[in-house]
Amino acid sequence: MSSPLDRSDSGNGFYSDQESLRLRRAPSRMSNQNYPQYNWRSNPSDDEVGNAESPRELRTLARPMAQKKALRQVQQMRMPVSTSAKSWTHNKTKSLHKLKSNFREFLYFFSLWRKSLQKIGGNFGGGVESYFLFLRFLVVLNFVSFLLIAGFVIVPSLVFRSAGTSLNSTDDGPCMKYNPNPQGLVVFYEFFLHLLSGQGFMEDSLMFYGYYNNNTAMEEGRLFYNLPLAYLFTAVFYFAFCLCCIIAHMGTAARVVVATGGSTMGNYSLIVFTGWDYGCLGDQATKLKQKNIYYRLQVDLEEERIKKQAASLTPWRRVALYSLRVLMFLISIGLIVAAFYGIFVATEFSQKNNEKTGILGLFIEYLPSMVITAGNFLVPLLCDQIALIEKYSPSVTVVVALLRAVVLRMVSLGVLLFTLWSQITCDGNTEAMDCKMCQYNVDKYPCWETRVGQEMYKLTLFDLLVTIALLVLVEFPRRMVVDNWSSKLSQLVGRQEFVVPSNVLGLVYGQTVVWTGALFCPLLPLINTVKFVFLFYCKKITLFYNCRPALKTFRSTTSTFFFLVVLLFGWILSLVVMIYSLAVIHPSMACGPFRFIPTMWQIVPNSFYSLSKVTQEFLFFIGSQAFSIPLFALSCVVMFYFIALASIYGRSVAMLKAQLKLKGHDKQFLVKQIEKMKSSSL
Amino acid sequence: MGNKQTIFTAQQLDAYQDCTYFTRKEILRLFYRYRDLAPQLVPLDYTKQPDVKLPYELIGSMPELKDNPFRQRIAEVFSEDGQGNMTLDDFLDMFSVLSEMAPRDLKAYYAFKIYDFNNDDFLCKSDLEKTLNKLTRNELTEEEVRMVCEKVIDEADLDNDGRLSLEDFQHMIVRAPDFLSTFHIRI
Repeated sequence: MSSPLDRSDSGNGFYSDQESLRLRRAPSRMSNQNYPQYNWRSNPSDDEVGNAESPRELRTLARPMAQKKALRQVQQMRMPVSTSAKSWTHNKTKSLHKLKSNFREFLYFFSLWRKSLQKIGGNFGGGVESYFLFLRFLVVLNFVSFLLIAGFVIVPSLVFRSAGTSLNSTDDGPCMKYNPNPQGLVVFYEFFLHLLSGQGFMEDSLMFYGYYNNNTAMEEGRLFYNLPLAYLFTAVFYFAFCLCCIIAHMGTAARVVVATGGSTMGNYSLIVFTGWDYGCLGDQATKLKQKNIYYRLQVDLEEERIKKQAASLTPWRRVALYSLRVLMFLISIGLIVAAFYGIFVATEFSQKNNEKTGILGLFIEYLPSMVITAGNFLVPLLCDQIALIEKYSPSVTVVVALLRAVVLRMVSLGVLLFTLWSQITCDGNTEAMDCKMCQYNVDKYPCWETRVGQEMYKLTLFDLLVTIALLVLVEFPRRMVVDNWSSKLSQLVGRQEFVVPSNVLGLVYGQTVVWTGALFCPLLPLINTVKFVFLFYCKKITLFYNCRPALKTFRSTTSTFFFLVVLLFGWILSLVVMIYSLAVIHPSMACGPFRFIPTMWQIVPNSFYSLSKVTQEFLFFIGSQAFSIPLFALSCVVMFYFIALASIYGRSVAMLKAQLKLKGHDKQFLVKQIEKMKSSSL
Repeated sequence: MGNKQTIFTAQQLDAYQDCTYFTRKEILRLFYRYRDLAPQLVPLDYTKQPDVKLPYELIGSMPELKDNPFRQRIAEVFSEDGQGNMTLDDFLDMFSVLSEMAPRDLKAYYAFKIYDFNNDDFLCKSDLEKTLNKLTRNELTEEEVRMVCEKVIDEADLDNDGRLSLEDFQHMIVRAPDFLSTFHIRI
């Protein structure tokens, strides 16, 4: 059969004269060597071939638009031949695709800060953009988790507090003395001090753990809301929810890393062919990008020269270099340990002297936060100087610096928590004099959960204040000095660079603090959302006004994955804290929803026995061995199946790559044979 | 979604939706961008498929393209006549391939065409040199250019013929995690 689109010759793609001249193609677009050829002559009754080129696949064809439209027409002409069942499924898939694209348009409209991120990516590159994408992810995470907490804990607590009777501690036992409200007149400036330190009017508010009661509201026996149980389950679910979000986000980032195999070969060709960012906007950004590529190529050529040099070092000098590196490693460890000791001393001092009032009292309150921030600022600077002496190659230097900074940040927070814990529980020794009566140090901490919540609140607030102070007092003046005062010093210092890794670590640190404190201060995720939104705009302003684009860029796809891995470390740290608080430490007897039970987790068995008999039996069955062992075995089988599948795919990919190489060799061999035969036949 | 627009027929819009990675709204938005380049040349009614071609100078002056060192090659690859003068179809095709939704293979095919300055379907040494000079604004010395070109061919040439074919290029692109995000114009 001859359709009007019959090919006239073997396959250089030109249409017959019946088609309009518009469809004629210049050689630049249609080359016979590399084009996959399309078979126009396939039978209309051959439904598989016709349906294989479904509408979604049209757009993946590397053909001019007019040819795609012609193909589409041909497909639509073939439609009536297919059976009714096939056409029904075809229609359903088409409407599903339409629904999906409409949904995508809808979400696109809601996507937060889309235009700002576009502008940042165009002017500063993918690395800086990945920082802001990470920040946006954290904002959304915090906001959604706040909604969760509000729905299950805060709103019911408010409702039942106003409806039910408030539980006044009429019991006058030795462990029950707790009065968060200050006595007498409150001086005006103390209002601000209380706002900053979380004491006074803030202590007896929704912010902290101590406000929540353990009354389970009952209205004529019908409405029943077990607030302590809700509090516990919300905290646990909040952690699980955050973990799921992080892993889902990691999955999308990891897909790219796995697909490319992560090999370092092909550096030069990758820079040349994929180095240029087509989304780069503006003359200045373009010039900088070109300088960037020039710099990268030079660095690579330089690294090659250094490698050649290092390979030719005499053994004597090599020993000297290695011993120098070991020495520097020990010095950096020593610096980190010194920072930890400083934090430990500061926390102890602050806890011992917290009866002071006024400005001095505020200063002492904030002492641990200040020491942590000073440590996090100074130690990386010193480590950078150490890295100059160590003389690793540039890529190794970056990784080492990041590892040191991560260790410093996470474990400094851990030291603070450890110090608090040792104060609260008298170093875990419940037989010590202070802790004998109430299982915790009741003199200093009548309501210890609120105190921990206050510490986390102070850390969050201080972090924000320091960022704003740095912005106003350091970054803007630096830019003004560099721009308006041309001297050797200002040339040397130069405009600031936006350093992505240390900023990301700041975000991870802030998020870890929030996770640790969420059990004791339910409003903390909301405060953190507001803080991160504020931080977004501050960082954006400083980026555009004060910073110059970095000459050394950060890989954008692998870096997102790395940020999430570091975030996961923070999550694990806060998980340890939560498990310990739930399961081991005795809750305060004077405040909070877990007043009269030995550990927080105890509420679960207690409520369990108030469920109906059938539910109890069912839950016992699920927990018993008859159910869990088959389930475990089944999940092992599923896991091994996926592992086997993945290894088979990997092997087939390697085999296909080898085949590709062989095909090239074969082609060359055949070409040579043909030439030989031609020359011999002449 | 109301059918209030009169620029395209419903079938035309459906065809564009199937042949590109854009939604209806985006196609209309791109049409207005195309028209803004030359309002007196581009009619508001495309239902009769008018034969309108914008010269390369107008395309190359778009803010998304005007600073790109490869803008001429991009326009040449996507245009019908190979000179850079684009119809609306070519315009939509170009931005569809350069959008974030287009798959890797499609982008790799067109990237290969863009870097192939002499249109012989191979990336030979002269193509590489021209690409490199455009990338670094002619700042590398001759010696460095030669070294880098040699290294590139060393790394990527699988069938050892001294130049890169489309298969070599695609094989190399598979190992580049950033390619999808860099070969992307935001419009």
